[in-house]
Amino acid sequence: MKQFLNERLPLDGVMSHLRKPLPKHINLLFSLGSLAMFLLLLQAATGAFLALSYSPSPEHAHNAVQYISNEVPFGKFVRGLHHWGASAMVIIVFLHLLRVVLYGSYKKPRELTWVVGVFLLLVVLGFGFTGYLLPWDEKAYWATVVGVEIASTAPVLGDFVAKVLRGGSEIGAVTLSRFYALHTIWLPWLAFGLVGVHLFLVRYYGSSGTTKNTPEDMKTGKPFFPDQVFEDVVGMLILFVILACAALFVPVPLEDVADPTNADYDPRPEWYFLFLFQLLKYFQGPFEILGTFVIPTLGMLLLLFLPFLDRKEREVLWKRPIALTVTSVCVIGIVGLTILGAKSPKLETQNITPTENGTQQGSPTDQAEEEDVFDFQLTEEELETEDDVFDFQLTEEELQ
Amino acid sequence: MSNESRRSFLQIASACLGGLLSLAAGIPLIGFAISPAWKKGESQWVDLGLVDRLKDSRFKKVNFTFTAKDGWVKATKKRSVYVTDLGNGEWSVFSRTCSHLGCLVRWDENKESFLCPCHGAVFDKDGAVVEGPPPEPLQKLEVKVEAGVLYVKEA
Repeated sequence: MKQFLNERLPLDGVMSHLRKPLPKHINLLFSLGSLAMFLLLLQAATGAFLALSYSPSPEHAHNAVQYISNEVPFGKFVRGLHHWGASAMVIIVFLHLLRVVLYGSYKKPRELTWVVGVFLLLVVLGFGFTGYLLPWDEKAYWATVVGVEIASTAPVLGDFVAKVLRGGSEIGAVTLSRFYALHTIWLPWLAFGLVGVHLFLVRYYGSSGTTKNTPEDMKTGKPFFPDQVFEDVVGMLILFVILACAALFVPVPLEDVADPTNADYDPRPEWYFLFLFQLLKYFQGPFEILGTFVIPTLGMLLLLFLPFLDRKEREVLWKRPIALTVTSVCVIGIVGLTILGAKSPKLETQNITPTENGTQQGSPTDQAEEEDVFDFQLTEEELETEDDVFDFQLTEEELQ
Repeated sequence: MSNESRRSFLQIASACLGGLLSLAAGIPLIGFAISPAWKKGESQWVDLGLVDRLKDSRFKKVNFTFTAKDGWVKATKKRSVYVTDLGNGEWSVFSRTCSHLGCLVRWDENKESFLCPCHGAVFDKDGAVVEGPPPEPLQKLEVKVEAGVLYVKEA
């Protein structure tokens, strides 16, 4: 069998390529890329199975997610893996990016590997954004309302982009269908294409290793296969056990079905967008666009062009004062804003409810319970009494 | 024709044909994806109820529904507005959508303000921005009264 395959496939060549030695100085942080790829595969697998019982329409989406969680065997576990896997993915990709910055691995000749990696980060955030509309609960609806409105503030094309994302002027059936298609078809194709290019470049230029490696050290370390692969697989197993425990013991939230008139819902995004949620509070009036467009865009451009801006010799981060300062400010800023966003207090309004004798009682309220909500729309019967509706069609008997 | 110029011709011709193919397939596909951006929303008058039931000088939160086309679905949409009777047949109806990023504002009777639960926006009773990030006031909706019924123009 082995001979049959060897005669038809370049297996020996592949194996000898995989057995090539890595740089001598390498550490556990160099497994983060493999862990990110494992998570991408896990998300693809769990997502493919979740799609078997999901329906992307406002009438059915929420019920479908409830059905998956409560009735489908292993549904709660699979949904849990997918949900917590998404959070793990954001963390691992962020740490992987920090590792590359730490050792200056983006420097020549690996600039394009970095650029493709930044696009992959955007795709991961895109997965998060399009994914959490799918349960069609309150969080899904309002986070998407805010997210799309943020896009609409971009100059010139903002309104156009928002309408394309929504599939119209407001969030509804077309939006859900579009986000489902983006989440399950467009972004996975893009992600696997980019991962393919990223991996090709990583293998082509080889691992960068730490900055301790001399030119001789670059080819005298352990082989990628089986040594490094074994370490990566152990890391994947540990990560899977953590995710499985989370899926089993930490319930995945599913709020009430989306209601565009819900008065007492305080919209909050997923934790990985909390920094942006908090940032938006600080830019007022005409400066709104700084928070919604200018800062996020500049941040992304800085990230994208980092290898072309930082062109000095490769050194570890603490020997590159400018890079160290910028990275520290960004990391502290993102973590700090995320914590502030998480602690952001819910809105309490003071409402006065009318009483029968016309006096007024003031009380701090949970709006849903005490605020008067009126629905005086005319019923169909009332409407019919206002407009005479005639039906003079002949009955079957009359026709005969 | 030399082999070299023949090959250059084939190279250019392949690129041109490839480009033509991409355009022929790409234009309708892109048009298909972005067409909703060209579609203009239709506004319609929606009844909020009988004027007699709505008369109140304080803001009342009024929920209403209307039917509108959402892609292939004729959907019942839910909306909510704040209504106040200004007297002399004048009405003030505010959309509850925050002009910042679309969250729903709430009326606080004590502060006499509309408050947004998302990014801390505050609007006064005329809908003007008092505090927070919104660049514009709350949207005041067009209203009309016909046969004792208050109608609002829903965009």
